[in-house]
Amino acid sequence: MVDTTLVDFVKALRTAELKVSPAETLDAMQCMDLVGYADRRFLKDSLGMVLAKTTDEKAAFDECFNRFFTADKFKPSTAEGGNEAATQQGANDDDFDTDNNSAPQAGKGGQGGGQGGGQSEGEEIQGLAPTSELGKLLLEGSRAELMIQMAEAGRKVEVNQIVVFTQKGLYTRKIMDTMGLKELQDEISDLQGVGARPEQQLAGKLKSARDQLRERVRDYVERQFFLHADETGKQLREELLKKVKLSNLEKRNFKDVQELVLKMAKKLISIHSKRRKTYKRGQLDVRKTLRNNMQYDGMFFDLRWKASKVDRPKIMCICDVSGSVSNYSRFLLMFLYSLASILPKARSFAFSSDLGEVTKLFEQSSLEDALSKTMRDYGNGSTDYGRMFQDFKNHCMDDVDKKTTIIILGDARNNYGDARAEVLREMYDKSKRVIWLNPEPRSSWTVGDAEMKKYAAACHQTEVCNSLQHLERVVSNLLKTAS
Amino acid sequence: MTLKNGDKLASVEVIKNNFEQLNYICSLQIATAVFLAYHLEKPILIEGPPGVGKTELAKTTAEMLGIECVRLQCYEGLDESKAIYEWKYGKQLLYTQVLKETLGEILDGAKGLAESVSKLHEFGDIFFSEDFLEPRALFKALKSKEGCVLLIDEVDKSDHEFESLLLEMLSDFQLSIPEIGTIKAHPDRKPLVFLTSNNTREISDALKRRCLHLYIPFPDAALEKQIIQARVPELAENLRNQLVTFIQQLREMDLKKVPAISETIDWARTLILLHSESLDPDLVRQTLNVILKFQEDIESVESELQTLTNKALKGNQ
Repeated sequence: MVDTTLVDFVKALRTAELKVSPAETLDAMQCMDLVGYADRRFLKDSLGMVLAKTTDEKAAFDECFNRFFTADKFKPSTAEGGNEAATQQGANDDDFDTDNNSAPQAGKGGQGGGQGGGQSEGEEIQGLAPTSELGKLLLEGSRAELMIQMAEAGRKVEVNQIVVFTQKGLYTRKIMDTMGLKELQDEISDLQGVGARPEQQLAGKLKSARDQLRERVRDYVERQFFLHADETGKQLREELLKKVKLSNLEKRNFKDVQELVLKMAKKLISIHSKRRKTYKRGQLDVRKTLRNNMQYDGMFFDLRWKASKVDRPKIMCICDVSGSVSNYSRFLLMFLYSLASILPKARSFAFSSDLGEVTKLFEQSSLEDALSKTMRDYGNGSTDYGRMFQDFKNHCMDDVDKKTTIIILGDARNNYGDARAEVLREMYDKSKRVIWLNPEPRSSWTVGDAEMKKYAAACHQTEVCNSLQHLERVVSNLLKTAS
Repeated sequence: MTLKNGDKLASVEVIKNNFEQLNYICSLQIATAVFLAYHLEKPILIEGPPGVGKTELAKTTAEMLGIECVRLQCYEGLDESKAIYEWKYGKQLLYTQVLKETLGEILDGAKGLAESVSKLHEFGDIFFSEDFLEPRALFKALKSKEGCVLLIDEVDKSDHEFESLLLEMLSDFQLSIPEIGTIKAHPDRKPLVFLTSNNTREISDALKRRCLHLYIPFPDAALEKQIIQARVPELAENLRNQLVTFIQQLREMDLKKVPAISETIDWARTLILLHSESLDPDLVRQTLNVILKFQEDIESVESELQTLTNKALKGNQ
């Protein structure tokens, strides 16, 4: 019982993007055994230490814990005592408000006797009592019992599998069915069939109780939805955004995408931030070995090898920011600058005809400002690759060396101007790698004014790149071969 | 696990009180972490800004339990020979030299190379036994007779390789040494492990998974007052309140390095030396370098000194 609750909780945590491993779940169980449930804060602190391992995760954990264990108020673990007072105390949410308002008559323990109007209840309806189980429960059982039944039914129909908003109605009905709605319905129609006044009264009462129950079940399902599905929906959307063509993105999605880029960048950082040392074994460092072994009387115990540390790549990124490609450039730049901690030597240039360096701009202002300034300053005008290459040659060619990786992002549509592929050739010879990212599909690389064929000959690598996923792959490869 | 004085870790409240007696004022969360670490036999990974008492927690725990605190300070390039063990090369060399003559006797009567070698084999790996082993911090912690607190300080400063080296130690309290075998801690005397990190880099998931995670933030005003009271009892109450209010305001500001608890304590001591009775802008200006460690920070605070001090004085009344 307790274990299933915990497993459910872990599941909710996972949807809230906490990485909880099975081993940690086991730890949490051990922890619960030790700590017990009596002290809510103690439990929360303890579980927080076992399950959430960063400050971000801790914040998410707190929220999740509060949401999950509020809903859990109705579950047997805490409602066990069965005394109304305890439950009432926890009734800080709307669930119980309906009751409190509608049962001022205080007939029976506050149970949902919301009899529509002010029609006073009398003592009993002349010896009549509901026969169906659900009916009995509704009119006679305590609220705690009802809640237990509801949670049980929820578990049976696996309400925690709910994924999308539209499923709410479905699950509500399923839960009602499991709780025995059908018999109740039958009873109500039987009673109405009789036609006598007491029966009618009872039928009315059952009906309104049933409607109230339905409300409550719907609330319950809704809460489960927020707990289990809200984040799943987000994940679905993110997956979608990763695959969608960047040029098709609308402005309103930019914020989401930006978050996503940051997240992907973070992942890349954590993968690549390990400073890999490459040792060239086989080359003895005589000086070091001699010095190191002096302490052993000149016996060579401890051999030292020449080690070489490979530097992070120098990256020069040239982005076409004219209308057709600006979106791609935007996100490439975003990527590169989110990776600043592991790519400290990135320089970026933007052009549509004149080339300009925007490195400083990105260092000094926030990402969004820098992006929009870049677009404003360089974004208009027709593309001229020849001019760009000439500019690059004049200003930056000296900085290109064997460690430099040059990334060019553009569609290579030169408006039938001079291609100046020979400059690219020079860059190709001088640099470590030239990578051309083209957002257009390969089939249209040679169509119309596209000069890709000429340029491709002078590139180490050409890639189609039109979604976040492509971008991530390119950047990741870049980091991999670099270190 | 039963450590000496283990009853001092019986419950969260007991721990908190015991810490307080040693002048370490802690929040419930911190006490909870120590409680869990002891009862679940898990290491604690402590993160938080510098100067909030991460290292102090380990030291205080050791003091409370009356056991040794073995400390391993991490730095770039730390490796197993410095953290676990090292062979005593010198001793090995010396012994081989000394034993050269004895060797003749041992090999006396052996015919041919094969026979000599097999005779030598009978003596086993004497030179690679524990007698020739120089134990380092982790090894010592495992071998400790009455249990100990193992403090692995600033684990984020070490290399990734070292982190992986720790994993075996943290999950099973054992270390494998190829020449000797596996060294295990006595099941009842497992060391209580504290790791601290200043978050200069992300700690790997594998390591995190094996630890409880405790984040110690800057304390709130009430807690900080208690801490000052415990650490610098000579300080008058109204000055203490002013001081804490002032520091709390600084933490709200956009500074390069906000003052931590250790700085607050230093400042309190400074004010006592100067025999001050209440904060005033001049006094604060003169002593600002105790709490702020960057010239830029000092300059940006100086311009607002008047208002900050006034608020501190007012908040007190």
